[in-house]
Amino acid sequence: MRRKLSLVIAAMFITALAVINHGCSRSASDADDNDDSLAVDLNDSKIKERLGVDDGYAFAIMYGADIHGSLETCG
Amino acid sequence: MGGLARRVSYIKAFKHRSNMEVPTLLVDAGNLFTDDRFTASQLPPEVMTRNKWVVKGYGAFRHDAANISYLDLPYLAELLKKDGYDQRLADYPFIEKLVSANIHPMDEQYREPSPYVIKEITLKRGASGKTLRVGIIGFSEPKPAGPNGKETVYAGFRIDDPFEAAKKILPELKRKTDFIVALAYMDIGSTQRLATENSEIDAIIGARQTSNMDEPQHFNRATITYAYNQTKYLGELRVYMKGDGSPENQINRYVALDSTIPDDVPAQDVVTQAHTEFTADQSASASSAAAAPKSPALLAAVDSPYVGVETCAGCHEKENQVWLNSRHAHAMATLEQRNQQFDNECVRCHVVGFQRGGFQSLYTTPQFANVQCEECHGPGKQHASNPGKGYGFMATPSGCVQCHKEPNDPDFNFSVYWPKIQH
Repeated sequence: MRRKLSLVIAAMFITALAVINHGCSRSASDADDNDDSLAVDLNDSKIKERLGVDDGYAFAIMYGADIHGSLETCG
Repeated sequence: MGGLARRVSYIKAFKHRSNMEVPTLLVDAGNLFTDDRFTASQLPPEVMTRNKWVVKGYGAFRHDAANISYLDLPYLAELLKKDGYDQRLADYPFIEKLVSANIHPMDEQYREPSPYVIKEITLKRGASGKTLRVGIIGFSEPKPAGPNGKETVYAGFRIDDPFEAAKKILPELKRKTDFIVALAYMDIGSTQRLATENSEIDAIIGARQTSNMDEPQHFNRATITYAYNQTKYLGELRVYMKGDGSPENQINRYVALDSTIPDDVPAQDVVTQAHTEFTADQSASASSAAAAPKSPALLAAVDSPYVGVETCAGCHEKENQVWLNSRHAHAMATLEQRNQQFDNECVRCHVVGFQRGGFQSLYTTPQFANVQCEECHGPGKQHASNPGKGYGFMATPSGCVQCHKEPNDPDFNFSVYWPKIQH
């Protein structure tokens, strides 16, 4: 009986952890992984051209610099 | 061109196009904060607001690291104050992703910035299943001062020799990681030296000088690429891996963030909020400056070496008519239509003498709005008080491309544009 009770408590603890972790993974820091908000039509020919060919790269580093305090589109 | 909303939109598309199989890091090579009008150890409220939204926006849209350049130090001092740091970090976790290996606080009131961050990614291609530890480290050159001078102390921080710092820290980072990315805010020669002297580095993202070379350069083990000014073109460095988990090749692309890329809606919301708050601060600040009869801003306008178009037109009426019919005469209206009249990064090319004793803001120096005569011909106060030959030479097209450069005006063609303003 005591063993069963321990198992139930352990299962509840793991479930609670999973719920908490799931909540954290959707925090603001992951906002760009929200699939629903994809603004680009991947079938658009201009977008396809801009994306280039998927030629098997393993990972990518996107980079920029010198925004000097501006998040806005300019020029 | 550029902007956070298009950048985020493109990266989402990039990930989806590859069925979310490709881990994608997002980094900034430096100068992300503005130090405009930094005086007496303080930044004006509207400048603080702009920088605050950069920290907020970069954090919200998962930038993995940003290099601290000398230009970032006035605002970094605000972020790294020990007093209230824990609350600030809770509000803006991105603070911990600001890196520099050679910038250190001068006194005890500031925390030490991290020299690097380590990001773990799980590969699904090349070496499928492998967890790769990517170290991202930052370096900045000292603040330029005068023609050949350098300032190694700025805004409460000391900027050490980046090459000595690299030799000290890179071996440690190499032991902890599988792939090292160095962010380098320095000139091209120094960036190449960093690669030549340090075989630990796999990739260097340089900034401060724009390169138009799509093909990366290779020095020692490192691949070097350079970021475009204001991220109007997003750099995309693709890394290919061998089956054993070692890097095989790197290919660089620049992606134009023009109107082809639609705005990401959540990112645009952040940009809009930032703009609204910044504009309100700017208006309040400028109004109070205008209301004060002897404010520094007004005194600067009185002492300006510029005289404004109305004075020029007193003698050069024919030329003035050509100008009135040109788009130069309506340059500020273009910004006002886009609600960007307070964005200094845009304003500088739509006015006369920005940060050179001319235009300051629409409230304090409206007489210097629009691209007037003196923006091309030079300050005219002396000429107006003593008219004569010898004033007004303008080098073309080199003078024009100071603003009509490719990221700002990709369609610029001197032989087409020049007849429209010729006089």
